[in-house]
Amino acid sequence: SSHEYKLNFKKSKEMCLSYIQDAMLQKQWKKAAEFLTFYIESLEKDFSTEYMSPSEMIWRIGTEILCHHSHSSMREFNFFTEQMKSLGVKRYLKVCLEHTFHLLCNGLIDEAYQNLSLSESWRFGEQTIIHDKEMKLIKAYRGLLDYYNWSKQKNILLEHGQDGFEDLSVEQEMHGCFRKAALNLREIITVPGVWDLFVKCYVDLLEFYGDHNEARQVLNEYAYNSKFPANPNAHVYLYQFLKRHGESKKSLISVLKILHDVVPSHELMIDFNIMLQKSKKRKRRRLGLEVIFAVLDYAGWKENVKAWSCLARQVKQIVISEKHLDWIKQEWNSRKDWWPAFHFSRYSAKRNWQENESLSYEKALVAGILLGKDCKYFRYVSHQGCKAQVKRFRRLKKFVNKHNPVYLRISG
Amino acid sequence: FVPRRGGMGESWEPADAATVPLLPPNASCWVPSVAPQDILYGGVLRRKLQAGKCGAALDFTKQLSHFFVDHPEDAFGSVGRLLHQNFYLGNSKLKVSVCPAVIMPSPTPHLAAAIPSLCPLSSLQRQARDCTIRMTALREGINRLEARRGCSRRHLVPRLRWFSHLSRDWLFEVPLGLLADCVHEDLLLQWTSLLFDDSPTGGALAWLPPKDVGARTGCLVYPGGQAMNHLCILPCGVSLGREGRGHVALPLAATPDFQDVVLEELPCARGSPAQFELNGRIRQVAAARVDGEDFVGVRSDYHCGVWRVSGRTGATPTPLQVIRTSVPASCLTVSPHLPGELAVCTQSGAVYLWNIETGLQRLRHDPQTMFFRDHSPWRWSDFTAHPRVLSCADRTGLQCLDTRAPERCHFDLFKVGEESGCQQGERVVLPMYVGRAYSSQHLVITQFSVYVLDERLPLVPVLKWVHMMKAPPLFAHLTPGDRGRSHKVLLGTSRTQELLLLQYRGEKRDSGGGSRSACQLAGPPQKLHSIASCLQHLPTQVPHQHCLLQQRLSAPAAGLAAALQEDGLRESLLVFQLSEAGDEAKRSQEPCASPQPSPTPQEAKCPQEPIASPQPSPAAALRYCHWMNALSKGCGEPPQRTRPPTFGQKRLFTRKELEEPSAPSALHEQARRRLRQAMRDGGCIQHWDPPPPALPQPLELAAGDPDPLSIRLTAAWGWDWERWWEERTSFNMAQRQQALRERRRRQKRARGRHSLSASFTSSITYQSELSELSDNAPLPLSP
Repeated sequence: SSHEYKLNFKKSKEMCLSYIQDAMLQKQWKKAAEFLTFYIESLEKDFSTEYMSPSEMIWRIGTEILCHHSHSSMREFNFFTEQMKSLGVKRYLKVCLEHTFHLLCNGLIDEAYQNLSLSESWRFGEQTIIHDKEMKLIKAYRGLLDYYNWSKQKNILLEHGQDGFEDLSVEQEMHGCFRKAALNLREIITVPGVWDLFVKCYVDLLEFYGDHNEARQVLNEYAYNSKFPANPNAHVYLYQFLKRHGESKKSLISVLKILHDVVPSHELMIDFNIMLQKSKKRKRRRLGLEVIFAVLDYAGWKENVKAWSCLARQVKQIVISEKHLDWIKQEWNSRKDWWPAFHFSRYSAKRNWQENESLSYEKALVAGILLGKDCKYFRYVSHQGCKAQVKRFRRLKKFVNKHNPVYLRISG
Repeated sequence: FVPRRGGMGESWEPADAATVPLLPPNASCWVPSVAPQDILYGGVLRRKLQAGKCGAALDFTKQLSHFFVDHPEDAFGSVGRLLHQNFYLGNSKLKVSVCPAVIMPSPTPHLAAAIPSLCPLSSLQRQARDCTIRMTALREGINRLEARRGCSRRHLVPRLRWFSHLSRDWLFEVPLGLLADCVHEDLLLQWTSLLFDDSPTGGALAWLPPKDVGARTGCLVYPGGQAMNHLCILPCGVSLGREGRGHVALPLAATPDFQDVVLEELPCARGSPAQFELNGRIRQVAAARVDGEDFVGVRSDYHCGVWRVSGRTGATPTPLQVIRTSVPASCLTVSPHLPGELAVCTQSGAVYLWNIETGLQRLRHDPQTMFFRDHSPWRWSDFTAHPRVLSCADRTGLQCLDTRAPERCHFDLFKVGEESGCQQGERVVLPMYVGRAYSSQHLVITQFSVYVLDERLPLVPVLKWVHMMKAPPLFAHLTPGDRGRSHKVLLGTSRTQELLLLQYRGEKRDSGGGSRSACQLAGPPQKLHSIASCLQHLPTQVPHQHCLLQQRLSAPAAGLAAALQEDGLRESLLVFQLSEAGDEAKRSQEPCASPQPSPTPQEAKCPQEPIASPQPSPAAALRYCHWMNALSKGCGEPPQRTRPPTFGQKRLFTRKELEEPSAPSALHEQARRRLRQAMRDGGCIQHWDPPPPALPQPLELAAGDPDPLSIRLTAAWGWDWERWWEERTSFNMAQRQQALRERRRRQKRARGRHSLSASFTSSITYQSELSELSDNAPLPLSP
């Protein structure tokens, strides 16, 4: 009966698919390709209502095989993708994009550009939302390639410019590229999403032509629009832009403050701390201490000498001046139950001493002040340091011994 | 521009043709888990249901009837005892007639007891008939029904219907409706766990890498024993097979309640401490190294424990603390940051931070799922880059909680939905913090895909890959690749034993600062051998044992661990797999074909054969042999627990009959004598033949010709049977014809008698029919 036939057909289809999968996972590309030729028959009677239709499956599997098969060539790949484009109309744009990526990976930039512009002119029935999105992506990537051409020509011009030779046609072409790229890039940036690559290119273009206001606006929008997903890179770009243009410290600090709130463990926090430490305002120095403590909370920073030296320097400053010890106390309060085990165990003292002497020096200083001269970490490191006749460790020991009352005040 | 996929991954070649058993098989017999056919409808109904396209149909009636048969005491206990007078289990009719001689087979003593006396007091008999149900007839009816199951038009015997109607309300110990509900509920539970069992999530196998860089002896932590309730910590590596055995009982003393999680007394080591006996099946073993010491967390359904395995080699693992939960725990993870800190989740939706020193801290208690409604009570929790921030997961996504202020400070890390490009019906199966590879990254595994997430860029996955495994991967293991090499992720499924190796490259920080390359997959994923794949390399078995072996080897996987070994230029990845059948931790070793991302220049160097020759190495073959021997030794002998079936005599005999006669009869005396004699001689009694009983006098047949059966029977009685047969076979043709004629005449006469006796009792009719049959029988036999 037809039901049985359907059932059998489905079964053999699934079996074939699992054979292909097995072969692919064991890197037997030839075998997989052979099985795929059988699987193509499943297109004939496509009863499935599953998430992934056989035609999509064939596209994906075929691409994978062609990427790895030893005998495949670019020509074959192009031929296969053209077939796939006609196979599934709904997927046309996706296939195009994939094709472009493949071309780009193989360094065929001109072909990729052609492919993109070709697919841009593609129309099919009513535009759905998904198509709209995909079309925007395609345009954006074309914009990216335009940007690539533009920067290439810019480099040529700059080189030639040094020779005092000007080429009008190249310059004109470059401006043409700029216009096309700017148009397409601007479009995608307005859609909420993570567009780091596009934003960077767009800002670069604008900066070259001196349109700083537009660039700033774009970056601000990208960083602060709540519709966009929280993206730390957006803040970084804004910060770098402002820094490039010599903006005031205040605006830089405000950008980094927000970045600190979003990602307390960001690399820029070291710069931020240094900037804040230098500041004359009390409030900012207080913030600086907060920032560096927060950075060292994270496991990734555990053995970072720079971060520890920043903290050590600031703590030392505060201790010497004997002002604002309450800042340390406040920061320490929320950490005193787990920092000793996390940072200042005897095991880590041993390891730090063996692996990185200057790290152990900075950490010992902090430990000595926060936990007193009897803490394991400080005792081990200072003992080893004195034994090894390193001067600064002797000084360190003296310093901590002298300021031991501070520890009592902090922990009290 | 860098594609999300691409780049050459490292190519790993399997060292052996299949997995190799590492440990001797679990000697205690493994009870195979429930298979779908055990609880699903078979036969006609199923086909009908399938045609109607309504999923799986649970064979509820079968299960309920199994329950009645297997636990009759629970089902009918006291009511049965009350009523057993009124049930008659004998074979005969209960019909009482005036002539007692007609009741041919005497009723069983049981009935004799039930009916006060068999004296022909008709009123008593009538009473007995009225209030006694003949179960035999009912059973026959049921059997007949069974035989006619295929028949489309089944008629319930009216009597059966009457009986069930009458007894439905009072026969069952537990009200039938309630019992049925319970059975059905359990059946549904079993079925869902058969479809997807999330209790072993995380895997019950852990590898503790060697402490020193030079040392090559790590530790393998795995469950063993009859119920997978022994925690074994086996130092392994170069020195395989050093294994201590000892048992530690885990006491069940409870201290005051702490919400639904209770601190318990420690198991204390006794004897050799490499093995601990726990009082629950081990579901998960988690391990992490902090400050050079390994902390091993062990989760069973209602208990979680933590052990410390200190850095020194040969040091004994020390149990630290045990907690008991009132709801099954679903997750236990060990902090990679702080010593003695763990995260525990229970199925009631509670998340705890468990510190050995400070105790338990409840971070959240929410039976509802986070982002949308999902019925699964499964929860998971793991650590993040910040030692005070925990990630909490349910089937709908991940959230990060600050343990210092769990109510206020949290943010969403992953949500099943549009942002991550999830499919419909996609659910989180296993989240994992991969701090060892990159301190702020998490791996989120769903039944369809693998996502890599960064804490700093929440909700938008950095990497997504569709793994296309047949079952949701419950086990994952990450081997970080240092110096810009790819991280290797192993994914394993439970029921289908799939094992997949994929590689990805994390964010790389260039020295120039600022510019970073994104996460990307490296090379195509690879499939590794499953446990079942070694079946073909095992010594050949007889079909029956082959079948058993296959069943055992294809038991669901229970854990996964891996260890990277460097030996000069050659690198190998040891992959350990544990099956639910017990200790079959297996090893598959893969020497790296190209340690650097360059194409395969070193393939020739690999001493182990590449995939081209799928034959196990001699060493592996030897291991197979050893394993098989151990298996047949361990599981071949019949289990000791099963005793021969015994019968209660009480039901069969009355007390009177069981009573010893006051004076031993002559027969007894004789038997005793013979026994003594035999014992004295040291011989044995070959056949216990009592002196032949006095032969009953051959019946004096009434006048008229005796029928052959009677002759034959008489001959048999009189030990003269052989002669009779000879006589019979030596009949000549004429005699036979004569006999035939004789017989016809006799039959005619018999028919007359027949009709007469038919009105008398049916039992006689039956006999005469029988005699006729046996009468005909010898004829075709004779030559």
